[in-house]
This record gives sequence, structure tokens and C-alpha cells, in this order.
Amino acid sequence: MLTLTRGAYATAGSSLELNTGNWRLKRPVHLHREAPCHSACPAGEDAQAWLAEFAREDPRAAWETLVAANPLPAITGRVCHHPCESACNRGQFDEPIAIHSVERFLGDRAIAEGWPYPVTKPDAGALEVAVVGGGPAGLSCAYHLVRRGLRVRLFEAQVAAGGMLRMALPTYRLPRAVLDREVEHLLEVGITFVANHRLGRDLSLDELHSDFPATFLAPGTGLARSWSVNGAASQDLRSGLGLLMEWLSIGLLPAFRRVAIIGGGNTAIDLARVLRAAGVQVHVITFQALPGPGVPAQEAMSGTRREIEQALEEGVIVHSHRGVRRLIVRGEQVVGVEMVHMKELARADGRREAVAFEGTETILEVEQVIPAIGQLIDPQGMQALLGNAEFFQADSWGRIAGHPGIFVGGDATGRCGTVSAAVGDGRRAAQAICAFVRGVAMAEVETSQSIGFNQLNRSYFEHAPRAEAAILPAASRNAEIEVESGLSPAQAFDETHRCFSCGECMACDNCWTLCPDNSVLKTQDHCVDGAHYVFDYDHCKGCGLCAHECPVGFIAMIDEP
Amino acid sequence: MSTEQKPDSLAELRRRQPAFRGLDPGHLACQGCGQALAARLVTEATGPDVVIANATGCLEVFTTAWPRTAWRVPWVHSVFANASAVASGIEAALKAQGRETKVVAMGGDGGTFDIGLQALSAMLERNHNVLYVCFDNEGYMNTGAQRSSSTPHAAMTTTSPPGRERMGKRHLKKDLLSIIAAHHIPYAATASVAYPSDLRKKVRRGLAIEGAAFVLVHSPCPLGWGHAGELSIEVARMAVQTGIFPLVELERGSLVAAMLLREVHPVADYLKLQGRFRHLFADHPRAREELEHLQALANHNLEVYRLRGEGSDARDSEGADTVRRGGLRWG
Repeated sequence: MLTLTRGAYATAGSSLELNTGNWRLKRPVHLHREAPCHSACPAGEDAQAWLAEFAREDPRAAWETLVAANPLPAITGRVCHHPCESACNRGQFDEPIAIHSVERFLGDRAIAEGWPYPVTKPDAGALEVAVVGGGPAGLSCAYHLVRRGLRVRLFEAQVAAGGMLRMALPTYRLPRAVLDREVEHLLEVGITFVANHRLGRDLSLDELHSDFPATFLAPGTGLARSWSVNGAASQDLRSGLGLLMEWLSIGLLPAFRRVAIIGGGNTAIDLARVLRAAGVQVHVITFQALPGPGVPAQEAMSGTRREIEQALEEGVIVHSHRGVRRLIVRGEQVVGVEMVHMKELARADGRREAVAFEGTETILEVEQVIPAIGQLIDPQGMQALLGNAEFFQADSWGRIAGHPGIFVGGDATGRCGTVSAAVGDGRRAAQAICAFVRGVAMAEVETSQSIGFNQLNRSYFEHAPRAEAAILPAASRNAEIEVESGLSPAQAFDETHRCFSCGECMACDNCWTLCPDNSVLKTQDHCVDGAHYVFDYDHCKGCGLCAHECPVGFIAMIDEP
Repeated sequence: MSTEQKPDSLAELRRRQPAFRGLDPGHLACQGCGQALAARLVTEATGPDVVIANATGCLEVFTTAWPRTAWRVPWVHSVFANASAVASGIEAALKAQGRETKVVAMGGDGGTFDIGLQALSAMLERNHNVLYVCFDNEGYMNTGAQRSSSTPHAAMTTTSPPGRERMGKRHLKKDLLSIIAAHHIPYAATASVAYPSDLRKKVRRGLAIEGAAFVLVHSPCPLGWGHAGELSIEVARMAVQTGIFPLVELERGSLVAAMLLREVHPVADYLKLQGRFRHLFADHPRAREELEHLQALANHNLEVYRLRGEGSDARDSEGADTVRRGGLRWG
């Protein structure tokens, strides 16, 4: 008790006794916001989180965080079109973080060091779920089911797992050693792998239904979409997918000199590059645009931009905004195609449609036309589920209305067509399957808005060049050697320090240093809210300076309760 | 995510803080006060072995609501005019006792540019081993924002209101640094709360040098300048990055270093954040003229102190406040 005497004498007290916290109208709170890389990742990776762990010199923890969402980083680090980098806030400052390169580095390191997946083997008595299809969706689903304590039997029609990664992805993009080692490593988490079992030949839906409490179907799209010009096609028509798969399995290509490939997706570009490496003059004909600055994503070719750029470097000729009007046939042989300028335009009803422009026809002399215009499910054994549809009609959890216990994902849903989306499908389906077999309700999904560039305080960041992996010069490329090499350990580590850490505390000390009321205290440990600091609400006056100066937008001012 | 902080461990956590801080919370400074921050940053650089002589002003009033104090170091209050004289005496006494405790005098711009200038000049002339820190908030803010000789040209205060006759303060901000320089003391510098590492470095340097030293710290006043408390650092940063408040170091009166500006902002970027310059953005020829006048003053600083940087440097206006994961940048 403080005594004020008449002589105005008192023992000096500390201002700490004064509760200036009651001045406050708004209080600062730590608020994690989702980084744009996280929101954009089809596989659900939180790149911000694993980059932070790597930045703390713990690559193994970084890999473990990464594989909590995506078990195939060495693969996706090579083949993903990395929408995370397109979304990266740093892209509006200088250049986005080279997330795919760091992901690949961590994946390769995990394989080289033999880091086990952070998964405990399910009990022998745990329920067993069937997964059909050993592609990225099936592998991801199997892995996430094991993570959740279920046993998995994975049926694959081919000898080895990998799906389209193995059958249709050229080795210059994904060396088979990388694929084999990562898939083998993944299967070791306790997945029972059954090779050479094809649905409709060695298995039936009825058998699966009676033997397993739930089944995940990820059959992929192994059939090329048929193609003709007004019903006409050459006798010896070969699909792009078929040629690519043949080349990958037996290493032989037909002896072409000049070919036209129809389509603007990755199959078209992959085949174009493989043929180009064999010395063929390759024309790619697509009604889409070449990707580039100012070209909206929905108008650009659907192939990965990096692959298209490398194809052009290698001498592949792309005819964009062009369609095939007519095949020119002499006897049984195709000798050319008539092309016409085309563009996809919005109709009055809002639907987009490719429109051909009269008077722009040109002739291209080629000896073969190869369509690569998309793929379909091979419906064998699944007619009951598919009906007349081309793809499975499933919700985002992979559930098909009217078929409880059956879940689908990957290319067969017709939604995605990328490896990372397939991985994401597998992860979500595993969550839904778990809830289904255990008879519990699905947890609500929190949708959060990712943090924008303007919510960061950029005064505290400096420009720094992005880590670029070495690219093989076009002249020394062939269809076998990997075109893009990996980052050095120093490059990968330095790249993590370019990360803005959007929406998550990076322990920069700004709030602690700049609080005029000395009301931010530093902790040695992580707090429950993910921060490295604690607010002293007894004294904080709520000026909001910490929130304004937080470089990563991790502090929000909320009304006093 | 491991330990949860228990509410009752806050005091314990405060005791365990990794750096010494000479100013406790619970002081009565306004929300977002630049001076409260600046004073604490100075004590972080002096450490606990220091005696502070504090002239009358905001700092004195808000830190010592009788009978409590926010200071964790010995602190003496003097009248407006004589902080330098008091500090001189303390320094002489400690010297006579053979003690090496550091002596710091503190004052606002009123107690330094105006009222305490004579005593300051005398202390510098006698070259006492004292560091004088002036917290420059460009006016008599404690008494409700009257103009001082440090108030910048064209700023509005209660005694320099804009109106038919004048666009805010008619006169220029006093060039105190040149007056200090004319004393040829070992060390003089300007610093800003927007650059805490630079500020602390200059305080340490001023204390390390034998003889009189002077540091002028630009300290935004949300109430007097008319900006939200959350913008204090932003305003201070803009003052530096426009060239309006150059960060420089002088030894024996000669310019030895300046924080180079990697990117020079137009002076309007600084002015438009503050209510005291609002009248300069009116659609009026006199407003435009004064805006140009302030831009010319900033350009003059860019020339005189050679502030324009070439390329990038870790110590320039962009590099000096770069954050690093784990707080590694803060020296």
C-alpha cells in the first residue's frame, strides 16, 4: 500500500505498477495467415512452413513437414508446374522463391540419406483399404491412409508403381532412377503392393466391395481421346500418348521426317521434344496461345511453361491459335494439313468456343499427324460406376453419389491432369475414407484467405536474386539426360532465406525492438500461437505499431474484448 | 509449439529478457510515442552503468509520474535549461571519485535547440565526457504542440497555424547540427527511431569516444504531428528516405559518414502522412510553392550530405533495416 505523506515523501515505485493496458481500444494478437504458396498448392503443401524449417538448418524437419502433405517431393520438384511460385508474394517484389528447386533438393536428400517417412506402421489388426492404381493419386492415398493408421493393399496393373509418371513422362524430365527410388522408399511405409492386377481382368468391383470396407480408385486416363477431321483420319493414325508410351517402354520411334502434333498440353510437348531429339521436324498445332507476359492462364497452352520454352529452344515449331481444317491425303498417305487461324472466344451465353477465321488457311506439309488432345479413362471393369460419363463424377473428397465406400481421384476425375493435383486428391480421399470406415463425421474445412502482398511490410526486405538451377544448353540435350539440374546445398539453403514467411512469425525481433511501451517480450520457446513473442497486455496501449511494422503480417489488431 | 506462457510468468519472462532495457513500461507516453521508443533504445546501448540527466519535457513528465519511475538507471531531473550543466557536474564528480560510470544528458528539442542551448554549448566547449542525446519531435509537444526552433518550415503547430497570412511555420528548422559542429567536438551524429541498430551504434560510439558527444534522434510525435500511433516508424523512415532528415556522423565537425539512400522518395511521401502538413496539399498556389520549398530543402540535404547512394549497400537506407529470420540483423 502506497502512503502519500503530507510532505510529499514516498518510496519510489516502479511504473510497472501502472496498468496502462486499460488505455487500449484495440489489442494486438498473433494471427497465422495462410501463405499464397500454400493456398495455391494442389497437393496442399505449406511451402512457407518447410522453407522456414530448412532456414533453421533442419532440412530433415523440412522434408518431414513437406511429406506430411506430399510424399513424392523428388518427383513433383521435377515435374510440377509449380502454381506455388506463380502465387508467391515475392514475385511482386522481385522474383518468386524457387520452391520447386528446394522441394526437389529436399526430396533428393531424403532419398540419398534414407530418411524414413514420419509414419508409424499400422497395427496388424487395423482395417485394410484397397487402392486401385499405383500412380501419384493412388500412392498418395495409400500413404495418407497408412499415416492415419489404416492398412493398405495397392493394386497396380503394371509391373511397377508410378502410373503415368512411368508410362508417359520422358526421362529428360523425370529420370527413372529418381522415380524408382522415391516410389520404392514410399512403399516401405507399410503398403502392401500387388503388381499386375488390372481392374476388370484380375479384379472386380464386386470383389473389392466384399473384401474391403472402402476402395480408392485412381485408374488414371490411359486411353487417348479419339480424333478426326470431320470423320476423316489417316489409316495409320497414332495417338501422341500411344507413341510416347511406346517409346518409353521399348525405346523405338517410327521413322518420321516431318510431323504435326495436335494439342497444347504436356503430352504434345513431351512427344514433340522426344521426336525433335531424334531429328524430326516437329510442328505443334494448338488453338491456345503461347504462354507469356499478359497472356491469361486460361487462354495459354495447358502444358508447363518451362517445358514449352525449352521445346522452342530445341527447335520445335509451335503454331499457336491454329486449328486443322482438313487433312490432305494422297492415296492412303497423309501429305499435309490445312491449318486455319483460330481463337477461343466467349459466346453470348458465356460459353467459350474455338472460332475459325475464314481466309486464314495455310498448308503445312507433313507426313504424319499425331493427335495429343487429351485422355480418357479406360472404362474396363468400371462401367457400373461411370455410366455414360467420360470421367468420374465425384466431389472434392472423391466420393461418388450413390456408391458409399467407393472413392476416386487423380486424372480419372477429369478435373486436374497434374501430378500435384493427383497427390492432393489422394490426400483428401484418404481423409474421407478414414472418416467413412471409422464412422465419424468429416471435420469442417476451414477456408482461409491467403495473405496478400499489400499486407506485408516490404520496407524490411531487400532484393535478392532467385536461385536458378543449371539448365542443359539446347545443343547438348537429348531425350535421355535430365535437362534441369538440382541446386547445390548452399543455393538451396540461401533460397530459404529469400522467403518472406508470409503470415507466419519469422522471429525477426521487429515487434520486440520497436514497441514504444516495452510491452512485447521475447521467449526462447515457441508459444502456442506460433510466435516467439508474448504481449504484455497489462501495459500495451494498443498503438498498433507492432502490427504495422510486422514484415510478415502476423500481427492483427482486434477490438478489445 | 511447446511451452505455453502462463499468465503469472510475465514478470518472470520480463526478468529473463536477453537484453538490458533501461525504461520499463507503465510510463505515460502517448500511444505510438517515438520518444519513448528512442529513449529505451538509447538505454539499451548505454547499459545499466550510466547516470542520466534529463531536462524538462515530455520524457521527464511521462517517465516519472510521482512517486513512480519507469527508469531502471540513476536519473536526475533538471529544469528546462540546464541538463547539460547538471550532466557536466555529475561527470566532474564521478571523475573526482575515479569512477567510470557513463553520463548521458537528455532533452527534447525545446530543451536543446531553444532553452538549453547555452548550457549545451558550454558543456561542449568544456569538452566534458558526456553524451548529449536530443529527442527531436520538432515542437513543444508536452504543452500541446507549440512551435520550437526545430519545427520544420511550413509545419502547423498551435502557434504557427496556417491561414491567410502564413502556410504554417514561417521560419526554417534551426540547423543545430552545424552549431554543434562548430564546437569541433569529437563526435556528433543524427539518428532515427526507424533505424534502431544505427541509433544504438551511434550511442555506443558517442560513449566510447573520450570527450563530448552529441546525438540528435528524430522521434515522431503522433499527437503533435497528426498521424496515427501505428505510423510512427513509417513517418520516421520516410523522413530519412526523402532526405528531409539525413542520418550523418561528424567527427571534429567534419562529415565522416552518411546513411546513403538507395531509393530517394519524393518529400510528399513523408509530408502526406502527417496532419501538420495537410494544408500543403490544398489546391492553392501558395500550398504548391511551400511543397516545392520543402522538396528543395530535401534536395539541398541530398547535395550537402551527398546522400544519394549508388547501387546497394548493407548500411544504406534499404539495407540497414532488412530483417533476418531469428532477429539476426539487430546489432
